[in-house]
Amino acid sequence: MAIRKDANTLTATERAEFVAAIQELKAEGIYDQFVLRHANAIMNAIHRCPAFLPWHRRFIFDLELELQRVSGNPNLGIPYWNWPSGGANASMWDDDLLGGNGDAGGVVRTGPFRSGQWTVINSSGLPAGPLMREFGQNGLPTLPTQAEIDQVMAVTPYDTSPWNMNSNPSFRNQLEGWIGPNLHNRGHVWVGGSMLPMTSPNDPVFFMNHCMVDKIWHEWQIRFPNQGYLPANGGPFGQNLTDPMNNTPSGQVGSRPIDVLDSAALGIVYDGAVVPPPPPPPPLIIVGAAPIPADIATAGETDVFRFEVPTFGPHTMFTTGPSDTFMTLFGPNDPNVEVTSDDDAGDNFNAQIARNLSAGTYYLRIRLFSPSATGNYAVAVRSEGAPANPVPELVVNGASIDAAISAANESDVYRFNIATEAIYTIETSGTTDTFMTLHGPNSQIPEIDRNDDGGVSFNARIQRQLSPGEYFARVRHYSPIGTGAYSIRVTQG
Amino acid sequence: MAQHTEIFEGCTIVINDTKLTINGKEIDYQYDAAKDKFSSKYMPYTLYGSLLELARAIAKNSVEFSHVQE
Repeated sequence: MAIRKDANTLTATERAEFVAAIQELKAEGIYDQFVLRHANAIMNAIHRCPAFLPWHRRFIFDLELELQRVSGNPNLGIPYWNWPSGGANASMWDDDLLGGNGDAGGVVRTGPFRSGQWTVINSSGLPAGPLMREFGQNGLPTLPTQAEIDQVMAVTPYDTSPWNMNSNPSFRNQLEGWIGPNLHNRGHVWVGGSMLPMTSPNDPVFFMNHCMVDKIWHEWQIRFPNQGYLPANGGPFGQNLTDPMNNTPSGQVGSRPIDVLDSAALGIVYDGAVVPPPPPPPPLIIVGAAPIPADIATAGETDVFRFEVPTFGPHTMFTTGPSDTFMTLFGPNDPNVEVTSDDDAGDNFNAQIARNLSAGTYYLRIRLFSPSATGNYAVAVRSEGAPANPVPELVVNGASIDAAISAANESDVYRFNIATEAIYTIETSGTTDTFMTLHGPNSQIPEIDRNDDGGVSFNARIQRQLSPGEYFARVRHYSPIGTGAYSIRVTQG
Repeated sequence: MAQHTEIFEGCTIVINDTKLTINGKEIDYQYDAAKDKFSSKYMPYTLYGSLLELARAIAKNSVEFSHVQE
């Protein structure tokens, strides 16, 4: 758990620990890797766009993990720069934390990151001189006030088309600073010098600035729990809810906006922040029951529902009513794994998804097509009876089944029967990077094992002791957008 | 500003019609018609009122071009 505190409230010990951890990462070369990750990202893919907030949340989260590693303190959090009390005379600029303003030429000559002690790098990773600062000298002489932060905190929706610096109304665009009172950008421009170009993480205050940005987003999410990330679909690639974000590596958490929406799930705690109660589970839709009335009462709101599928079979998820709804299906058993989405397959601009579903819990996220619209609708799920495509059976020590992941997010399910308790191996073969989960006995819901690359090359392989019963193997591509052919078989031993 | 050449912060800025170079390197930039401002990937947090103003900011602050010594 990372405990993020106001930089101006840190004790001397906390300041020393943070500075030492930053310096250690610099000595290891890790810090400069973060500078390059930001500097070499596509500027318009991480700024001036919806992914601005999730991209930087993941970025500072990753640095925080490194700070925790080198400090040995699993609770070390990046301090946040509380702008209203963070002006030039604030204690965060003292010599035991960030050091102060630059000299007449802009060169920082005080504190732990002063000239001679700290060298910035350019976007090629080459040394490029000392750290530079020019407080308030680049056209923005003051920092954001609490009233300005409060003003931005009231803005909804999260973002809107055209998903850039002209988006309005847009909480993201106001917080980033292209419209409204200018919060995040002002932090960069007020410091000036090394905080102005894409190599701005060269100045450690970059992370404190973005920690403050992230804190504001976190508090906004608590204030507006039904205002989801936008765009869910239909925006530029890299900006949608389940798109991989630019220049974001695989890591402890995923690289999509949806993977970082919940700060609490990432173990992040802000001092003094309102701790939200655990959210209630989404309303349950009973399969086959009458449609549940609902509404999008405020623009940009997203409603979430869940439903249970006891056995594999064809199902139809649909909305009715006068609103132009957009529906996204997630699952099974994971509200962040997108299956598919639909806009107008139903009657009169209603959304409808017809799909074979394996057993498990599924989630529907429903919004209106227009992020600025409000309106009523109803939602229901019905089972279409007998399975259109029964679950194929694998015979232990029998022939392989040839199959393919033919569409993004597709997964295939197989069943096999174990008559004698023993060790069994379930594995794929071929050139596709498969990922496999094993479920059972006698149910598709409990997951008992999973594997990515335990087989030959990028194939999945699970070997374990199995008691008698029916088991289910689910195979998908490792990449949410990957496709390809593979074979699967089960052998004893 | 059809053509302009100057030395700023030790960098040679050349603006030829809509083409901007600094020390011979062509600089990608964007013009936002809605805001009537110029911006560049080199300076992601600021919009500038003219191409020359943008060029001077890049020359001064981008570590790819600045010449500040220890």
